[in-house]
Amino acid sequence: MTTIAELRTPHAPTWCPGCDDFLLLAGLQQALAASAIPTEKTVIVYDIGCAGNMADFVHTYAVHSLHGRSIAVAMGIKLFRPDLTVIVIGGDGGIYGEGLNHLVAAARANSDIKVFVSNNYLYSLTTGQTSPTTPKGAKTKSTPLGVTNEPLVASRFIPAINDQVWVQKVSAKNIAELNGEIKEALNHQGFALLDVDENCVSFGKQLR
Amino acid sequence: MEKVFTIKLAGPAGLGIKSGGQLLSQILIAHGFSVHDYNEYPSLVRGGHNTYQVTFTTGELFAPHHTVDLFFSITPGHWQQHLKEFTPNTLIAADEKVAAAPTTGHLESVPLKDMSIEVGTVIVTNTICVGLAAFLFHLDPEICHAQITQQFGKNAEMNIKAFDAGWVYAQKHLSAYLQSVNPPKGVANRKLVDGNEAYGWGFIQGGGNFYSAYPMTPATGALHFLAAKQQEYKLHVVHAEDEIGVASIASGAAFAGARAAVGTSGGGFALMNETISYCGVTEIGMVFYLVSRPGPATGLPTYTSQGDLLYAINSGHGEFPKIVLAPSSQLESFEFSALSLDLAAAYQLPVLVVSDKFLAESAVSLEDLSQKKVTPLSVEVVKEGDGHFKRYALTPTGVSPVALPGTKGAEFIANSYEHDEYGYSAEDSETTVAQLEKRHRKLDSAKPNLPKAVLHGSPKATKLIVCWGSVAGPVLEALRLLPAGHPYAALVVRTVWPIDPEIEALTKNYPEIITVENNQTAQLTTVLRSQINFHPTRVITKFDGRPFYPEELIKEFT
Ligand SMILES: Cc1ncc(C[n+]2csc(CCOP(=O)(O)OP(=O)(O)O)c2C)c(N)n1
Ligand code: SF4
Ligand SMILES: [Mg+2]
Repeated sequence: MTTIAELRTPHAPTWCPGCDDFLLLAGLQQALAASAIPTEKTVIVYDIGCAGNMADFVHTYAVHSLHGRSIAVAMGIKLFRPDLTVIVIGGDGGIYGEGLNHLVAAARANSDIKVFVSNNYLYSLTTGQTSPTTPKGAKTKSTPLGVTNEPLVASRFIPAINDQVWVQKVSAKNIAELNGEIKEALNHQGFALLDVDENCVSFGKQLR
Repeated sequence: MEKVFTIKLAGPAGLGIKSGGQLLSQILIAHGFSVHDYNEYPSLVRGGHNTYQVTFTTGELFAPHHTVDLFFSITPGHWQQHLKEFTPNTLIAADEKVAAAPTTGHLESVPLKDMSIEVGTVIVTNTICVGLAAFLFHLDPEICHAQITQQFGKNAEMNIKAFDAGWVYAQKHLSAYLQSVNPPKGVANRKLVDGNEAYGWGFIQGGGNFYSAYPMTPATGALHFLAAKQQEYKLHVVHAEDEIGVASIASGAAFAGARAAVGTSGGGFALMNETISYCGVTEIGMVFYLVSRPGPATGLPTYTSQGDLLYAINSGHGEFPKIVLAPSSQLESFEFSALSLDLAAAYQLPVLVVSDKFLAESAVSLEDLSQKKVTPLSVEVVKEGDGHFKRYALTPTGVSPVALPGTKGAEFIANSYEHDEYGYSAEDSETTVAQLEKRHRKLDSAKPNLPKAVLHGSPKATKLIVCWGSVAGPVLEALRLLPAGHPYAALVVRTVWPIDPEIEALTKNYPEIITVENNQTAQLTTVLRSQINFHPTRVITKFDGRPFYPEELIKEFT
C-alpha cells in the first residue's frame, strides 16, 4: 500500500488558487493510494500545459513529455513494458488538438493506458486561447470575433472510433463522482479516457 | 588486376527486373564472385523504366561500375538511354524485331517474350536472361539450378526451364560473345545483402528490441526486414500513425528500457525533430536511422543524396549533444547500427545513423550477418534507490545513473523542461548552466567509442580525397583502378558529429585536398571548415540523384 504522503514530492502545486487541477490531483493521489499498484510500477506521462505541470507534484516514475505527445509516449512505454500501469495527464489542447492523431491511434489500438483530460475549454498555460473544445461563438484571445468551429466532444467521437474503449465525462466540481470515475478508469482493462470538466479561474471568464 | 564485369537488366516495373538481378547476383556469389549491385526505379508500381545492374569480379570490389558488358532490354527500347554505358564490346540483348543499332556495342535481337511464353509465362523472362548470362560467363549450371531451387520454391521447376532456355539460346546464337572469365573456385558462403538489411541485422545483433517506422523510401526496407523478423528475434516492430508518433512511441519504449530505433527519410525525419531535441534534454537514448533521398520536400523519392547532413547535425531545437554516424559501406551499416544502440544507451542521447538510397538499397556480397555476433558495451542501471534518486546527477563524465521503471525507490521524472538533478523543473540560471554543461560533457566521454576517420592509401600520397558515407565506395574503387604509383589517398570520415579534432592533423600535410560529396553544397566540407583548420583545394559535388561512378571519378582525378 502506498500512502498519499509517499505520493507527494518536495514541490507544492503552482496552480492558481481555486484551479480545478487541484481536484484532479487529489483524486488521482487518492486513487493511486487506494490501489494495489506500487509507485515504482506506475508511470505517469504528462502533456505540456497547466494540467501537465502536475508532473512535479506526484512521486512516481514519470515523463514530462512534449505538447501533444503524451499519449504516444505512453503507448510506447506500455508496448514495451505491459507490467507497468501507464497513465496520461493532459489538457484539452494537448490531447484533442496537438496530439489528436495519437488519441485516435490509441483508441483504435485499445492501448491499455489511462488518459485523464483536464478539459478547461482553453489553452490556459499560454494565457487563454481557444482550444478544440471551446464552445462555438466564445470570444477568446486568439478568436476575438468568436469561435466559428464546432467543438470536439470526446464522449461522442471516441466511441465512434472504437466502441470497446472506456470513455466518461465528469465534472471536477462533483468530487465524489470524480474520485469514483478516476478509480474506475484505473481499473478498466484497455484504453480509458476520463474527460474532466474543469474551470480555469484565470482565463475561463472569457467563456461566460 | 582482376577484370570487373557488369550485367544490367532494364525494363518496365512489374517484370521482375529486380528479382532477376538479385538471382543473378546470388548465383555469382555462390560461385565465389564479389558482387556490387545498383538499381534505379521510378516512384511508381507498374511500367516506367527500371534497371538493376550487377557488377562483379573475382577480387575486391567497392562500388558498381558505369560501363556495362551485357545489357538486357526486356521489352523494346529500354537500351536507348544507356548509350554512354556501352563499349564497342558490349552485347545488348534486346527483345525487338527491327532495332536501330546503337552507335557503340552490338545489338542482338533476342525473342525473350516468345521464349518465356513457350516456357509458360512472361514472368520468367528475367530468368531466361539469367540463363543467357550464365552461359556467356561460363557459370556452372548445377550451381545455378541449386540457387534457382532455393529462390523459387514451388516455382523452381518453371524457372529452371526458363534458365535452360536462355542458356541453350545463348549457346546456339550468341557464342561469339563468350566472355573470358574463370569463375573462382572454392566454397562461398557469402550472402547478398543491401544496406537496409545490413542495418537490420546490426539492430538485431546489437540487441535492438524496439523499432518503429512509417513507410518512406528508401528507409522502408529496414522496416520490412525487421517486421518479418519480429517473431523469430522477439522484436517490437511498430508501424505508427505518423513519424511524430513513431519517434514519440520509441522514446517511451526507450524510457522503459528498450534499445529503440526509428527509421525514415528526410521528410519523416523533419517530423521527428522535436523528439530529437526532447531526447537531448530528457537524456533518453535512442537511434534515428535517416536514409536520405534528394529533397527538398518529396523530391526524387527513389534516388540518392547526401543532402541532409547539415540538417541531421543541426536537427532538434536548442543546444544538446548528439552523435551522428555515417556508415561508408553495407558492412558498416551493420556495425554502426549495433554501435548506435550502444552509444544511445551508454551516453543517453540521440544517435543518428545517416545513410542514403545508394547505400541502403544497393546489395553486395557480404559474410552471413545472421551469424555475425557483436559484443555490446555494458550499460549499468540502478538496482534500487532511496526515494531521492538523482537521475540527472552532475557527474564528471556527464553521464548520470539510469533507473528503469519498476526499480524501487528510484522514481524520477524524465523531464522535457530544464530540470534539477532529480528531474524537477527548474529555471534558475545555476541549474540551467550546470545541466547544459553536464549534458555537453557526454560528447567528450563518448569520444573513445566513436568510429575514427579511416585513411586509405600510401603514406607517400600528395593528394588527399576526403569523403563520407556512400561516396567512399566509388572513391575507393576509383583508387583501386588508378594506375600504380598514383598520388592519391582517401580519408573517410565516419563520425560526422562531433568532428574529431585529429582530422586536422590527418589532413594538414597534403598539398592538395579534394572533397567529394553527393550533394550540392559540400556539406561535410562546410562542417569540417567550421570545426577545424581545413582548406580543401577542390570540391567535387554531384546532386542529380545518382551516385558517383568510379569511372567518372577517375576522369576527375587524372
Ligand atoms: C509544440 C508546441 N506548441 C505550442 C506550445 C505552447 N503551449 C504550451 S501549453 C499549450 C496549450 C495548453 O493547453 P491545454 O493542453 O488545454 O492545457 P491547459 O494549459 O489548458 O491545462 C501550448 C499551446 C508548446 N509547448 N509546444
Ligand atoms: S491558468 Fe487556469 S488552468 Fe492554469 S493554473 Fe490557473 S486556473 Fe488552472
Ligand atoms: Mg486546456
